[in-house]
Amino acid sequence: MSHALFQTALDASLLLCALGLLWRVSGWYRMRIGPDVQAATLWQRLQVLLRGLAAALFSRRLFDLLGTLFFDVLLQRRLYRSDKSRWLAHWLMAAGFMLLLLMHALAALVTVKLFPGYESTRNPYLFLRNLFGAMVLVGLAMFLFRLRRQRTRFAPVRPPMAAAFIALLGFILLTGFLLEADKMASPQAFYRMAKEFNGSADPAALKPLRALWASEFGVAFDDLKEPITAELLQQGRAMHEADCETCHARAASAFVSYPVSRLLAPLARSLDEVKAHIWLLYLHVFACFLGLATLAFTRFLHAVAAPISLLAHGAAPPQAYSSAGRATRRALALDACVACGICDAQCAVAPLARYLDNRYLLPSHKLVATGAGEMSLRVAEGAFLCTDCGRCSSACPVGLDLQDLWQASRGDLAGAGLPAPAQWVKTRSALDWAEALQSDAAPQRFCDPDARDAPLSADRSSFSRCVQCQTCSNVCPVVAHSTDPAFAVDLTPQKVMNLLRLGLRDLTLGSSMVWSCASCYQCQEHCPEGLRVADIMLELRALAVQRLGTVRRGKELS
Amino acid sequence: MNYALFLGCKIPSRLPAYAASTRAVLQHLGVTLVDLDFNCCGYPARDLSRDAFVLAAARNLALAESAGLNLLTPCACCFGTLRHAITFLNEDAALRSRISEALAAEGLAWSGASQVEHVLALLARVIGVDALTSAVRAPRTGLRVAAQYGCHTLRPSKVARFDNALAPTIFEELIRLTGATPVDWPRKLDCCGDPLHEANAALSEHITRAKVADALASGAEVMCTACPHCHLRFDGVQSDTADPSIRTLLYTQLLGLALGLSAKSLGL
Repeated sequence: MSHALFQTALDASLLLCALGLLWRVSGWYRMRIGPDVQAATLWQRLQVLLRGLAAALFSRRLFDLLGTLFFDVLLQRRLYRSDKSRWLAHWLMAAGFMLLLLMHALAALVTVKLFPGYESTRNPYLFLRNLFGAMVLVGLAMFLFRLRRQRTRFAPVRPPMAAAFIALLGFILLTGFLLEADKMASPQAFYRMAKEFNGSADPAALKPLRALWASEFGVAFDDLKEPITAELLQQGRAMHEADCETCHARAASAFVSYPVSRLLAPLARSLDEVKAHIWLLYLHVFACFLGLATLAFTRFLHAVAAPISLLAHGAAPPQAYSSAGRATRRALALDACVACGICDAQCAVAPLARYLDNRYLLPSHKLVATGAGEMSLRVAEGAFLCTDCGRCSSACPVGLDLQDLWQASRGDLAGAGLPAPAQWVKTRSALDWAEALQSDAAPQRFCDPDARDAPLSADRSSFSRCVQCQTCSNVCPVVAHSTDPAFAVDLTPQKVMNLLRLGLRDLTLGSSMVWSCASCYQCQEHCPEGLRVADIMLELRALAVQRLGTVRRGKELS
Repeated sequence: MNYALFLGCKIPSRLPAYAASTRAVLQHLGVTLVDLDFNCCGYPARDLSRDAFVLAAARNLALAESAGLNLLTPCACCFGTLRHAITFLNEDAALRSRISEALAAEGLAWSGASQVEHVLALLARVIGVDALTSAVRAPRTGLRVAAQYGCHTLRPSKVARFDNALAPTIFEELIRLTGATPVDWPRKLDCCGDPLHEANAALSEHITRAKVADALASGAEVMCTACPHCHLRFDGVQSDTADPSIRTLLYTQLLGLALGLSAKSLGL
């Protein structure tokens, strides 16, 4: 390969990689998610970083961080705890790739300096290169197998370019192994080396060596007519020991490439004719450069962002961060997320996502929507149904503080006019809502919301026996506290029941009594007629979310 | 005695001491607790869709059923929600078939075989006051305790079937056997204010403070809770004062101390 071309391509890739990373990292300091961090200035955010670094480097916390680096970054302990088979696949891939990078790709910078006798075709390097490559391939295969199983609407978010990332990584490995196998089988390569180290490229003079390399090193000579005798091999071995052995371990040590080279053997001459080794070398090297140049925009980015996230997590508990620090951690979380879906599997409300047909209940989808600044009723439904159980954060293999991110996103949604139902219902009076309902003809989300979500209030027998004795209102804690004008309610439970009796259910849906019901069930327990007053209050809320929600959507659309 | 322990969403993240003390006390008393892959009890979805709320609850019940276990929960709200879901499933055939269909999609089924029990009822009725009394090693003599039942363990009594909803005694009996003295307080059966917190934070806090003041005026030194929601709400209104006027203690912690368990194992 032309040295100038190689160097130019490498320099260009490094430059693109650096620019991409700079763009990404600056994003961590530009982005603001959540109303509480809008005031944080860039300088404050940088100060958090500098103070954090100083505090970490000059205190005993350094040892904690070293522990984080070893257990969480290198061994990926958090992933191991959450999902063992995924950990195995990921660790094989990550460790194999990093070791290949250090030992093979950066050989001139690393391996040669550490081990002066380094030769790529000697052991242990020949064996290790195959081992590391095989680790990556096995890990990749395990990942592909998992991806096939996850193809549903509620699968975790697939990051952009995930397929391209896997394809590129697989391509680099494949061309690497093919290149090594091609060189092993190639008679041309044999003669090129023989000329350099034996001084001769004459097939007749090299007869013994040819016999040995054909039988033990897998060179696929197509003109090997003479029988290979023990004596010929003996002579060949003497030549091998004199000229080749210092640099060449037995080919079988390359336990992946060698079998591949045996498969390529019938094609060896044709491959030599088309100069396959040059093509493969270009493909292999340029695929690596492509990966490097696009690092900041593919899944490779997580190899940078995830360790930083883990170290930030290890440096201080989430609640110890100032708002400036939280701003940066939230933005970093978007890049550090590897979309593994472990959070989705742990999520306490995940089983409802399918039933409500809303993928925004799932943490991985919420994270992407938050990052994209997506504000919709569906996103809000997911955001406000979250129970803050914390299972997503404690299972997250890259240590994201997702609770903090969800809280921030709820704040942003509320600021954009998409708060929790209890809040948006308050924006109009019960009467306003009822009037809006009468003039509204928007299609309803469920075909028959009454039967599904409000069976009691749709059935006269569940309220017609109400004798308006006011017992429900007398035992209601919300009514009792409404003597304070700040906590006044528009109706009492008894009036809600009366409206139902009068067939004016729509008037109850936006009522502050319905939405301030504490669900303490005092009314239901004390009702002399045994009416299910609190159950009715709660189902009126569900009905209100459906029906007032459609009015609201209609208004937004118009 | 085996139970599937249903901790719900609040306890593991906000009140891990309740999980620790429940496990410590029940292990001490010979109850085996099994952890299953439960989801949210369904309570937060109740304002949104009745089906979604029942589905969440039914999925938990079905998981316990397939493990052949009854469910035990230390949370009054999870208890109430799961019991409500059972009631709704029993009385509404159309709901039952929709939920069964959704559960069948993941190979689960609800038949009603698994029962739901609250920790207080398990202690008072299944293990029994006598057995507990004889296990007490370090009585908390003289400690004046206000029992906070929590709405959803008691009401509606037709669903909860826990104790007499108008004049319950379970909690007082359980307090008495630890050597402590239960106090009478007028607001004992009132709501703690927690369910209102999202919709109306000011009213919620107003209700909570009224309860705390009442317990204090009634001479209690400790408010004893059996629900993470009540507990965290009482702690919440007192977190702004340096010297909380009244301590909150989970019943499992009070019992654990009386049984002679270490404070550390009870999350204290």
